Amino acid sequence: MSPNLRITCGVERQTGSDAVPGAIAQLGESLMQRFGFFYPTRVLLGGLNFSRDVYALLSQSGHIKYESVGQLAQALSDLDSIRIALGQIDSEEFAIWCGLGKSEARVHLLQLMSVIEQARIRAQGAELRLDFFEYRPSPRALFRSLAQLALVGVQCDVRQLQRVWPRSARTSLSAKWISKFQAIKVFSGRGDLVEIAPLQFVFTVKWKGVGNTDVAIGLIGNHVIIDVGGVRSFVELPAACSRMEPGSVRLAKNKFEINFVVKESEWPAS
Amino acid sequence: MSEAEDEKSDKNDLGSWLIAMGAPASITSMMPSEITGLDIAPLASMLGGVGIKGGMRGVEVEKKSADEIRWLPIIRC
Repeated sequence: MSPNLRITCGVERQTGSDAVPGAIAQLGESLMQRFGFFYPTRVLLGGLNFSRDVYALLSQSGHIKYESVGQLAQALSDLDSIRIALGQIDSEEFAIWCGLGKSEARVHLLQLMSVIEQARIRAQGAELRLDFFEYRPSPRALFRSLAQLALVGVQCDVRQLQRVWPRSARTSLSAKWISKFQAIKVFSGRGDLVEIAPLQFVFTVKWKGVGNTDVAIGLIGNHVIIDVGGVRSFVELPAACSRMEPGSVRLAKNKFEINFVVKESEWPAS
Repeated sequence: MSEAEDEKSDKNDLGSWLIAMGAPASITSMMPSEITGLDIAPLASMLGGVGIKGGMRGVEVEKKSADEIRWLPIIRC
């Protein structure tokens, strides 16, 4: 499949429009039109902090530019956070609320979630180009940014990186770093729940090199959050985990395991 | 501020939030109570908790919600 989006990282940002993408504005308007007196996108959705970096991903532009790889990773992470939040808004209570107000908010909410899903697919299939014309990070900093990018599902072509890296002797990229960059693997976004003993389960998530990162792992609702320096990826937990108590995380080089113990009081007797 | 008003300002219902956002106080009588009384604390907490930096402006979440991130202890093997 040929990419229909090109993303360039490492260039000075162009001054662009702050226009709110249609799907977002539509949701805001449908949520707030009944109230009439305030401007929804600046209050409710402005409060969600949809940054211009996120707007760019939602736009139909065929070429998006970011100042750095880290900024792209953060924008994708924010977009995922928003998708998770919107998914949780779509509750029975929200549907009732929309019904009471005869609002189209739910339709527009689902539309926005679909737009975000499409933007995610586009970004993952995009042709990513690095550009060190304005600024060249240290290999260590770039490694961390590329690991963050891999966490949110985007792979960098190391051959392209080598081509554009400055070639002077003082700044040359060592074989060690090239090998490290090549070892970065995209996170699959999945995990497996396995019973290890009566009432004890372990949820295993594999990601090559995760043990070498400064990762934090948490839970929100029915999702595991993997956070590397503020860039987050979300893994959906099996429904059974909602009736289990999480324990500690065992972090190995290429995987981590979260222990869960069944809350017997909430588990149906067999 | 009286005790009753103080208690009211701590509420996380939609009506209180709209007033905090600049709507006239009469908004609560203009809209059905099913809507103005809607508890938006879980939503506000959730939006603040999943990594969206701002959360919802003007809304204070007074107690910890189940929707907040629960960071887990890590044991490196």
